[in-house]
Amino acid sequence: MPAFLRRYLALATKEVQQLRRNRGLLIQLMIPPTIVLVIFGYALNPKVRHLRLGVVDESLTVESRDFIDSLTENVNFDVARRFVRARDAEDALNRLDLDLFLVIPSDFARSLHRGETAQAQVVIDAVDANTAQIAQGYLGRALLEYNTSRGADPVAEDRPRRMLLRAAHPAPPPGAPEVRPAYIYNPGLVTAWHYVTGVMSIIMFINASLVASALAVKEKETGTIEQLLMTPAQTGEMLLAKTSPVFVLMMVVMFVALGVGMLVFGVPVRGALWLFTVAGACAALAGIGIGVMVATVSKSQQQAQLLTFFVNPPITLFSGATSPIENMPETFQKISYFDPLRYLVTIVRGVTLKDAPWSALWPNLAALAGFAVVLFAISAWRFRKQ
Amino acid sequence: MKKILAQAIKEWRLFRRDKLLILLAVLMPIVLMLLAGRTQSLRLRNVKLLVYDYDNTLLSRTYLETYGAALTFRLTAHEPGEPPERALSAGRGRAALIIPQNFERDALRGTGPIVQLMIDATDSNAATALGNMAEALNASFVRKSDLIPNVPARVRMDQRLWFNPGLSNPVYFGTGALGMMLIIFPALLGALATAKEYEMGTIIQAYASSLTAGQWVMGKGLVYVLIGIVEFFICFALGMFAFGYRIPTNPAVLLVATVLYLLAGVFFGMMMGNATGTQSAAIQGVQMGSFLLSLLLSGYLFAVQNIPPQIRWFSSLLPATHYVQIVRNSILRDVGWETSFRPLLALLGLALFFYMLNVLQMRKMQFKG
Repeated sequence: MPAFLRRYLALATKEVQQLRRNRGLLIQLMIPPTIVLVIFGYALNPKVRHLRLGVVDESLTVESRDFIDSLTENVNFDVARRFVRARDAEDALNRLDLDLFLVIPSDFARSLHRGETAQAQVVIDAVDANTAQIAQGYLGRALLEYNTSRGADPVAEDRPRRMLLRAAHPAPPPGAPEVRPAYIYNPGLVTAWHYVTGVMSIIMFINASLVASALAVKEKETGTIEQLLMTPAQTGEMLLAKTSPVFVLMMVVMFVALGVGMLVFGVPVRGALWLFTVAGACAALAGIGIGVMVATVSKSQQQAQLLTFFVNPPITLFSGATSPIENMPETFQKISYFDPLRYLVTIVRGVTLKDAPWSALWPNLAALAGFAVVLFAISAWRFRKQ
Repeated sequence: MKKILAQAIKEWRLFRRDKLLILLAVLMPIVLMLLAGRTQSLRLRNVKLLVYDYDNTLLSRTYLETYGAALTFRLTAHEPGEPPERALSAGRGRAALIIPQNFERDALRGTGPIVQLMIDATDSNAATALGNMAEALNASFVRKSDLIPNVPARVRMDQRLWFNPGLSNPVYFGTGALGMMLIIFPALLGALATAKEYEMGTIIQAYASSLTAGQWVMGKGLVYVLIGIVEFFICFALGMFAFGYRIPTNPAVLLVATVLYLLAGVFFGMMMGNATGTQSAAIQGVQMGSFLLSLLLSGYLFAVQNIPPQIRWFSSLLPATHYVQIVRNSILRDVGWETSFRPLLALLGLALFFYMLNVLQMRKMQFKG
């Protein structure tokens, strides 16, 4: 057996034994990610339902009630309360008892009968810009439906009602072009698929950096690093031995996460699994590289952990795992190219959900591998300088 | 009281010695808050739309223009000979618009041509939004193009958007980011400080000292709460620049809430430190328990009411949920005690709860003297 291999094996055995004794670390590596994955997959749901609608009906006629019904006949709005005065509804909105309220003026029915355009007003709490926008969309559709289905006769008895959810828009008049959306890769529009694949990637990367930095700095803190530096092993071998158990662990975590995603949420794996594995390995290496780098600049575990905490949230936020990169301002989009996690997220989604062609994935894989090599090399260099 | 102060001063001296820590404590919230407020947005813009126009007539190009004019889409030419499925799976666009042959002829004849929109639905939320957007654009095209006679609307609805009339996302996420910043760092410091005592073995001194468990926990936590308050002011000042924060008419609500929130966060962190006894495990606990959970379940990213009811109770156990609510109440809605009363109570309850857990953990181990 060559000497370097023997030295490596000896060191790696030491690390594995240390890790095995540290049962807490093993548990915390395996269990929280799984739980987090499940919670997030279930909990994250950007769909807006059951908005609390307040109604101020000053008209109190058949027509006004009919109009209110037409807005609330789907699951998007629930009439939370009715008010006599608009002032009370405003107060309720201020107290957060409502998400929006509708005011129907007293001349509503009269205007309808005269053939004029009747007025109504809606006030929306727009603090949550996203929800407000969606509410606006729902209202616009419901109104369009009401207006078109009514036709020219203001008191038409039989108004065909459609679930707004099912038919997003009233059927366009005959002859007009129509657009038919086809949702590919995720025709059931399962929200969890998007988040589970994103969170999976985050966990892989961030856990690797956290654990690596903790392990690397511990040696320094307890003073045993001197002993390590005195051994005949080269720094490269030392680093390899130190990180390979972590690396193996991270690979296990990765497949556990994928298994949970597949079993609990039915995430498909349509592409090549080896690509997923290689990408995960690169990401784990890059994460370990960042962790070791952080460990070399800090004096205590406290500092190291804080630094990783400082590095990790930006990596998460820029990666597009939680919100699409296209939505970010231009400069941030450019910065995101320096985020290794971005490539991992693309590959993970490409392999699991899309079966993306190799031609589209290899640049991402190359970038990820590049990051892994560079980060690992820098960390080795920093490690040696100690 | 004196004992609490003495413990706090000891803790402060320890903290002060670490220059890097102080630098991080100041720098981290600033950078992170900017990022957290600016990068997260659910509003779609400049989505690449691959165009397959098989008609290539005046009307089909007018139809395309309707899409091009919307801020949501950016029209992109497809590579020659590449089918839309392949272009989408390669990620060259997020959706493909396919206009059939004879689009113009059919439209003028009144046969109703069907335009297909293939959407990459890996992000189902964005996909639904894109589908709706396309249908709205289609409707607006029909209205403008005079292909069918226009019927005047029966009812017109005026919409008023309160509190955030520009529907600005930075305003929404910027206020949420304040809550994120104040949960991460103080909780982390609390966790580290407590876990360190276990690692160094100095926790024995606390067990043996004449301090009661309550005094020890309070004194230790106090310093980190104070640091948190400093961070709060830094973040608030930053928010005034970057996210248009206004000083609320009744700042007391926000201040009280901040103190309670910080107490809850620090005690949570210390609890993690107590429970795990090692710094790296404590960090992981805080990262999962306060950062990730707060980031995703507190209403910072998605409205709490969208979370399915089976898990929603969990959100109300997170201090961040209540605090983010109060921050938005105070800064954006500018309302006072009355509206924020319930979340304040919840914060107080959570702070007490975490405090009691700490005290119990400590008391178990203390020597009876």
